Amino acid sequence: MIEFDHASRTYGTKEAVCDLSLTIPAGELFALLGPSGAGKTTSIKMLVGLLQPSKGTVRVCGHDVVRDPRSAHQRLGYVPDEAILYDKLSGREFLWFIADMFGMDRGVTAARIEDEIVAFELGEFVDDLAESYSLGMKQRLVFAAALLHAPDVLVLDEPMVGLDPRTVRIVKDLIRSRTRDGMTVFMSTHTLAMAEELADRVGIMVKGSLQFLGTVDELRQQLSVEESSLEDLYLQLTGRGAGLPATAGNA
Amino acid sequence: MPAMPSPRSPSEQPLAAHSDELRRGIAPQDETRLFLRLRRRMVTSTLGHMLRTARLRITLVALLSLIFWGSLFGIFYEAFLFLEDLHADVIPMLFNAFFLSLMVMLVFSSGILLYSGLYTSREARLLLTLPATPDAIFAHVFRESIWFSSWGFVLLGSPMLVAYGLVHDAPPAYYLLMLPLMVSFVIIPATVGGMLCLTLVRWLPRLRLHVLTVAGVLAVALVGWLGWSAFSQNDADRLTTSWFEQAFSRLAVTEQRFLPSWWLTSGLMEASHRSSDPQRQWAALAEAGAFLAVLVSNGLFLQMLAGMLARTWYRRGYGLLAGEFTARRAPQASWIDHAIERLGSKQGLPLRLLLVKDLRLFRRDIAQWSQFAIFFGLLAIYFVNLRSFHYDSSYASLIGSLNLGVVGLILSTFTTRFVYPMISLEGRRFWILGLLPLRRDQIVWSKFLFSVAGSLPPCCLLILLSDRMLGLPGKAILLHEIACVALCVGLSGIAVGLGARIPDLREASPSKIAAGFGGTLSLVLSSLFIMPVVLVAGLPFHAEAAARSMGGSFPWLAGLLGVFAASSGAAASAGSLIFLGLLAGGMPLLLGIRSFRRLEA
Repeated sequence: MIEFDHASRTYGTKEAVCDLSLTIPAGELFALLGPSGAGKTTSIKMLVGLLQPSKGTVRVCGHDVVRDPRSAHQRLGYVPDEAILYDKLSGREFLWFIADMFGMDRGVTAARIEDEIVAFELGEFVDDLAESYSLGMKQRLVFAAALLHAPDVLVLDEPMVGLDPRTVRIVKDLIRSRTRDGMTVFMSTHTLAMAEELADRVGIMVKGSLQFLGTVDELRQQLSVEESSLEDLYLQLTGRGAGLPATAGNA
Repeated sequence: MPAMPSPRSPSEQPLAAHSDELRRGIAPQDETRLFLRLRRRMVTSTLGHMLRTARLRITLVALLSLIFWGSLFGIFYEAFLFLEDLHADVIPMLFNAFFLSLMVMLVFSSGILLYSGLYTSREARLLLTLPATPDAIFAHVFRESIWFSSWGFVLLGSPMLVAYGLVHDAPPAYYLLMLPLMVSFVIIPATVGGMLCLTLVRWLPRLRLHVLTVAGVLAVALVGWLGWSAFSQNDADRLTTSWFEQAFSRLAVTEQRFLPSWWLTSGLMEASHRSSDPQRQWAALAEAGAFLAVLVSNGLFLQMLAGMLARTWYRRGYGLLAGEFTARRAPQASWIDHAIERLGSKQGLPLRLLLVKDLRLFRRDIAQWSQFAIFFGLLAIYFVNLRSFHYDSSYASLIGSLNLGVVGLILSTFTTRFVYPMISLEGRRFWILGLLPLRRDQIVWSKFLFSVAGSLPPCCLLILLSDRMLGLPGKAILLHEIACVALCVGLSGIAVGLGARIPDLREASPSKIAAGFGGTLSLVLSSLFIMPVVLVAGLPFHAEAAARSMGGSFPWLAGLLGVFAASSGAAASAGSLIFLGLLAGGMPLLLGIRSFRRLEA
């Protein structure tokens, strides 16, 4: 579903992402962790087509995001770290715009929009202009828009920022159920507890390189630490900096 | 925590089975329709919101536009009457020069607008993650930029063309063809601007600002050279036939058949042709139609070319530019920041630190200083050329007063657009300022000082330049300088005072803050303040000129005017100007400070 094939990205002389090779199969929830400036957002921007890799390729459902961005985007839903909406459109108008952009059947769309409104509890404000929304309302609407076209791949960049605990729970339940249905989720987060709770596998990036790739249990084994939380393991790994190789067979 | 109800339908439906049928993809023609519908919805929503909340601003803008249009129409009508009688053959040359200048400006303005819409806007970031084609995104942003870059052209060009049509007694077809000709003309430079923008970002992302600056300087130099050679190197007596002949023979260089400005001029000239012979009339109309077809076909061809460029280069350029933004060097403190920080007492340090912070923000906000530089730069070019018109003393005095008014009006737009929102913009950082060891008064005072210190040098220099070029006496120059100081103090006081009195602490966009009620009020009060300042500054010299001209016919009136014209009159004017400046600056500032002290952020 998602393939980074020796993908690198440089900013001037600085290498933000270095030779990233990673395959995430259908139905997997993958969490990318790492300190600020590690290359998480650059990786996500390459995945959603906002940045082109300087070397290597990135594919979504077999479609190269540089050579065939339209097909890749057709299968992709994206929730950025900062909600981007049209201030002068209502939430419902925004959802219709997104549905039309994906060429969804208008008869089906109306029912799906109603479903999303219920799922994300948008009913109270969905017909107001987006300029009047709070941060949490905006983020809920962006989630609804990202899932409207039933994407095969959902990309989440710091998805829980600005959400209240109730919405966090809704989103977690939704992510779980959609991955069970076969959707692939690529999530970048600083919330280690959520990654530990939800992710099938985690990747830890430090200074543009993937320092670890595997399950939390594999990370414990690799660091020879029993009964430690992901937070302890993460701090131990990123505190050491570079040095630990990715587990064989996962990349 | 109890388990939340599982989201209904989206989560329950099996994904892969029906997702490809659900999202069938969008056809290119549907994409265009969708973007048009999006734009229409946003415009309807914005207009509806403005009609509900900003009636005062809409009325004011409509009224000012009407006055502006009417004044331009009157000036053009009189000018064409004069030219039609004596120098009708120079009108096509005049049109060519006018449209060529506008064409150059449209290339730059639409290029800059497209750059901002395609590469730095949040909307572009959203659209590039959707299955929209790059050429459709380009066309969507282009439609917006063409509206913003061409409304000024229509506002400026339409009174001129209507005036010409009336003076020339043009047939109705002229008025019908006028708008299609103008619109199809505008598309050409706007598309060229867009293509240059795409090319520049794709191939020279690091040097984009340098290339733009060099091109801008070259364009200004070219226009300056044309103006200089046409009017300043003209040894004939002003406004005589030979003067016109000399001036326009030098502008003949703008009459090039491959330029869209020539196609537009020729189309308009043919459409304005009236003949009693129906065959000739139809032939002229057919010629005008042919020029319209040339404009439309070239516009469409360029649009097609721009679409191809966007398809190939837009995404790539966006990625390259995103890398440039991230890799930008950290800005360094300038010597002037250090100087401001070190000069002065320890008690005044917090205020000076606020000044340094605002100065840094100003320097790093290209939109602010570039507009400042463009407007004041254009004024400087105009003032430098004033000498070539050899005005007599009474006329020079009048022009000097009008120039004072123009400087004031431009400054008022800057204080409203950039200074008024400054206090509101501190709203989001209020927790920082609130914890610092400084009084709230100092925040307001720092904005006021920043505005006065930033506006005084350029405004006073411009007025000095204008008065020197007009050859005004030292007394008049001194009075104009005092008026200029009064304007800077007064306009800064109004903008900062109202900004502190009616802040909008929730809004992050300075343009939206300036466009609100407080910004509109600031602009209206500023305009009302400029009028008496200009009148008071000009009174002694206009009274002197009037007294001289009516001394023989109305000795009693000449005597009365002489009182205003005397040295005591000039001193009274200076005193009044100081009083006006202190009143206009001080009153709103004090009200603002009082209100800001009580503000709960």
